[in-house]
Amino acid sequence: MTTDTVPVSGGLPRLLELRADNWPLAIILAVVISIAAIALLPPEISFWVALAACILAAGSAVYNAWGRYKGGLLVAPAIALLFIMNIFPLMWSLGLSFFSYRANRARAPVFVGLDNYADILTDPVVWERLQTTAVLVVLTVTVQMVVGFLLAFLFAKQFPLRRYLLILVLTPMMLSYVAVGAFFRYYYEPTFGLLSQFVRLFTGEPYILLQSTEGAMAGIVFADAWMWSPFVMLLVLAGLVSVPKYLYEAAAIDRASFWRKFTSITFPYIRGLLMLALLFRTIEAFKLFDIVFLLTEGGPGTSTETVSLYLFRQAIQFNKTSDSTTISYILLFTVIVLTNLYLYFVNRRARETQS
Amino acid sequence: MTVNALRMTGATKSYGRTVALDGLDLVVEEGRFFVIFGPSAVGKTTALRTISGLVRLDRGSVDLFGQDVTHAPIAGRGVSMVFQTFALYPHLTVYNNLAYPLREAKVASAEVDRRVKEVAAMLRISHVLNRKPTTASGGEQQRVALGRSLIQRPKLLLLDEPLTNLDAKLRHDMRAEFKRLHREFGITIVYATPDELEALSMGDEIAVMRQGKVVQVGSPDELYDRPRDVYVATKIGAPAMNIISAKRGREASTIELPFGEVSVDPRKSWAAVAADAAAGESFLLGVRPYDLKLTGSSGYSGEVRLVEPLGDLTVVDVHAGGAELKMVLPEAQAAGVRHGDRLNFAFDAAHAHLFRPRDGAALG
Repeated sequence: MTTDTVPVSGGLPRLLELRADNWPLAIILAVVISIAAIALLPPEISFWVALAACILAAGSAVYNAWGRYKGGLLVAPAIALLFIMNIFPLMWSLGLSFFSYRANRARAPVFVGLDNYADILTDPVVWERLQTTAVLVVLTVTVQMVVGFLLAFLFAKQFPLRRYLLILVLTPMMLSYVAVGAFFRYYYEPTFGLLSQFVRLFTGEPYILLQSTEGAMAGIVFADAWMWSPFVMLLVLAGLVSVPKYLYEAAAIDRASFWRKFTSITFPYIRGLLMLALLFRTIEAFKLFDIVFLLTEGGPGTSTETVSLYLFRQAIQFNKTSDSTTISYILLFTVIVLTNLYLYFVNRRARETQS
Repeated sequence: MTVNALRMTGATKSYGRTVALDGLDLVVEEGRFFVIFGPSAVGKTTALRTISGLVRLDRGSVDLFGQDVTHAPIAGRGVSMVFQTFALYPHLTVYNNLAYPLREAKVASAEVDRRVKEVAAMLRISHVLNRKPTTASGGEQQRVALGRSLIQRPKLLLLDEPLTNLDAKLRHDMRAEFKRLHREFGITIVYATPDELEALSMGDEIAVMRQGKVVQVGSPDELYDRPRDVYVATKIGAPAMNIISAKRGREASTIELPFGEVSVDPRKSWAAVAADAAAGESFLLGVRPYDLKLTGSSGYSGEVRLVEPLGDLTVVDVHAGGAELKMVLPEAQAAGVRHGDRLNFAFDAAHAHLFRPRDGAALG
């Protein structure tokens, strides 16, 4: 793994040589031993056997590289850490999604094939959560894009105190989710919350925003958009600033209308960044969890429970470990497919306009 | 009687503390190729932007074809402008760049098509119509920018240093191109440039600018032969005119130079000024490098400091009595001249200019 530059010359005989620095053989052995151990031995033992095999393979690779591939050795710790913290858990959880397993039971995982996927995809509750997520994604991303876009146009102009206002506007993006959640919780709070107080001025009644489905949705969308519109603004602003001033002057000489200046000069400069903002925010919104958890905990009832929140409940509260890994992989797959479709269309458009 | 295409009176514009235009007066007759000449940052661009309407004056007025447009919007001025940077719309094809002003004016699409093709043919850019401007060469981009202005059929065309961003060969070709277009379209052109060669070769009339003001207006010959002051004298003509500090000699008809004396030609307009001056009064004497001639053994004497062969002509820097002079010699004469040689030279006082040291104004 650390020495991918080594040419495997000499073919099969060289590969089968039983030497400490024969790392390709070590890796093959490690994989074979791991698979055999997982298949044949009880999990308590197979885990350690697989781990030992991996360490053996890694040790062989390091031995091979010692004194010869210093660069490879230097990045080895980083790669090892990445493997332990990222790749291994990912693979492990992917594996778990094909087993029946609960983290709080001392029972070994039982292989069930695609049963988990079949169960989850036919579960009406999951579909309901997916719908809730979709509605929130559409609403919050739309609001963010529109507000961020307008803010960018505002801040592209020069006006007094612009720098200070810009810092203020960018602050929400840098706050922690918990801070934002707590802030909006108090803001929407029925008895002393600012919103409730304000409505009471007109109606005389305290206003409980989060008690209705629509209210809760609106509250979440508002808080999320408040936090992330500045991000969209920042990207669009970067595009606006990059438009050469002389183009607007040329357009003025050509007597172009405001709208035409926008479509033929401004928009082509910000289109790419706008698309990027849309992509980033959509991916993030799919994973919407923090704000929902902090504001409504999915309520009232389960009307604002997103897939992520559902996933959290399944995994942590109900300990349905393999079910929750299945959901997360379905979610991951969905986002990857959507992202790639999106990139495909954006690239195709870019190619068309280029020629 | 000819109509004035443009009249600017007392035009003043400052940006913060920087004064871009300081009481600028300009009159351009219809049909002229009028050049505003001056080094960078003298207010040429601001003057053009004022005429086009991109910039509003602090004081003063702008009249176009007899109408006061000082406060009028850009539309309706009948003015178009070509920018130094070309300012082509990078995301539109050349065709759409050319059609841009027409589409805005709601011209019927068949008419747009006809006029785009007509202008493209005239400017020889028909082959790049379907390409993006950035894929065209510098000269083509320049012509597209010009076409985008001409297609509007402006009564007055402003060109802001249009050749500055082109290479030397292209500049030469485009100078001829501009003159041709001026003849064919018959429109009034105001052309700003820091390049005296462009100014002299294209302008019917040239205004020399300095610090937001016009110093002198005239035909190329007038500016060359009768510069109003040292500034114009040294800016027009290359290599620049030699300016030598001088004194009235002991006799009324002589001027004392660092390297000798010159007797004043009584026909010369400034002869009387020199004659009236007190003995020893200082002047500045201007002699063009072309007017310095080699003499065999008579005349003034100087030491060669630098030799710059330019093909047909050679520029020689001569150090004479503390003054640095440039002289231009034909190839044949310059053949034997080496660094460190002593040369004898002379000039005809009839071709010299006399200036007042205090403000550089031409005398006589």
